[in-house]
Amino acid sequence: MSLPFHPADGDPVPPALRGFARAHADLVELHEKPAHLVARHRNPARRVGLVSGGGSGHEPLHAGFLGRGMLDAVAPGKVFASPHNKQVLEASRKAAGPAGVIHVVKNYTGDRINFGIAAERLRLEGIVVRRVLVDDDLATESDETATGRRGTGATVVVEKLLGAAADTGLGLDELADLGAEFAAASRSLAVASRAQTSMHTGRPSFELEAGELEYGVGIHGERAQKTIDRPGTEELVDRMLDELVAGLPEGPDEVLAVVNGMGGTTLLELYGLHDLVAAGLERRGLTLAGELVGTFVPALDMAGFSLTLTRLQPEWKAWWTAPAVTPAFPRTIEEVA
Amino acid sequence: MAFDQEAVLRRFAQAAEDAHAELTELDQRSGDGDFGDNLRGGLRDAVLRFEKSAGDGGVSAFGALGEVFLDEVGGTSGPLLGLLFTEIAHALDGAGTDPVAAFGEGAKAGLAAIQRVGEARVGDRTLVDALAPAVEAVPQGFAAAARAAREGADRTADLRARMGRASYVGERVKGEPDPGAVGIALFFRTVAEAADQR
Repeated sequence: MSLPFHPADGDPVPPALRGFARAHADLVELHEKPAHLVARHRNPARRVGLVSGGGSGHEPLHAGFLGRGMLDAVAPGKVFASPHNKQVLEASRKAAGPAGVIHVVKNYTGDRINFGIAAERLRLEGIVVRRVLVDDDLATESDETATGRRGTGATVVVEKLLGAAADTGLGLDELADLGAEFAAASRSLAVASRAQTSMHTGRPSFELEAGELEYGVGIHGERAQKTIDRPGTEELVDRMLDELVAGLPEGPDEVLAVVNGMGGTTLLELYGLHDLVAAGLERRGLTLAGELVGTFVPALDMAGFSLTLTRLQPEWKAWWTAPAVTPAFPRTIEEVA
Repeated sequence: MAFDQEAVLRRFAQAAEDAHAELTELDQRSGDGDFGDNLRGGLRDAVLRFEKSAGDGGVSAFGALGEVFLDEVGGTSGPLLGLLFTEIAHALDGAGTDPVAAFGEGAKAGLAAIQRVGEARVGDRTLVDALAPAVEAVPQGFAAAARAAREGADRTADLRARMGRASYVGERVKGEPDPGAVGIALFFRTVAEAADQR
């Protein structure tokens, strides 16, 4: 067993927030009590502030996507725990544009409730709020529970597309409807060969035998519904693509693909996986119209990866390639004046 | 009839002290056992905040309740109660000659906010099961509202939870009322008692 390199005294989030804000002082500013971060720059054409947040342990999500072209403010919770409504409230007050605020919320009960309470408080202050719920995880597709699919890798896609759309000066309702369309057009699936390390024990949060694979794992180390014998990598990617393509709603044949590391997976692996994804999509008659490869929505240091596919409407493509100047989103096509 | 917010706050705080053990035990059966602590602690803090700001004419008693429960109280039900208190405070702030009607409007808005956020309906074994009938009964007076809240809370003993942490334990909590609903019944009882004293 081996503990992660966190400072000794308890909660690892506050020192990491301070370090993050220091490292990216040109782009973000940190407010403590309650903890929230705000982007320093925004496109003057933007009329609606974009706010997100959620549990920590998924870095660079969400603070890494603060900045011109993406998010205006974020509320980071403790590791794998929803932020307090007060954090979301403060972040939203600072981010609110003349046409209101959008909350980008991953579909978890705690996040829904805390963002919802903040939204009610903002409403009492006269700030209009709409929510974009991200619920892309195919592994939690079930008719039996009322909770719906979890929000995972598609969050980055939604935050990027919505940010670019907001910079065209669209209003609150138009953006909220678009955000819902981005989320609805996306599905993800994640696998893990090793659970994330528990911060307390230094051991994996769940045990997998050699040769086993957790298929459909969550981003908080929630175990999948099935543990399978690990297939070869080509076969695994094929199986995941089959399920993802079958799970996507009808739409254009142009898709956006995210190959996301779960925290303990090398870029050497992720780029190799992307090569398989690209070929697999082509064999299925789909056109790869946008792509993102790297670690964007991890579960601490879990060894694994997720694949996200989004069916791209023609008018969304320019939003995907529009400039974004943030600490973590890699696609900055042109200089922002 | 006037409406004495401070009297409600003080009576409610005392009622939460008295019911602490009962609420804690109820919540240990169905939730994480912190509801008694959260309610009592929140009310103690709200009394302090109200007293502290009373001198400079700051916050109303219900305003203090709302702020403390939204900002400081843990769990899910604490901030949800904060929404109710805040809506009532807003309605009473703007109240004209009929504070009972204003209280009713505020409670109704609070119920709507709680249902928007928590997505619970009547029958889901939550505080909504006490709050919804109480809100409906306010036009008949505070005593009727208190009775409706109590009956609604009692009925949760026969319900299976669909929302919240109690949903994980399923049938095992049947027979005991939901602690959040009992807390709502306590609140409406103190409102009726405070009104009665005048």
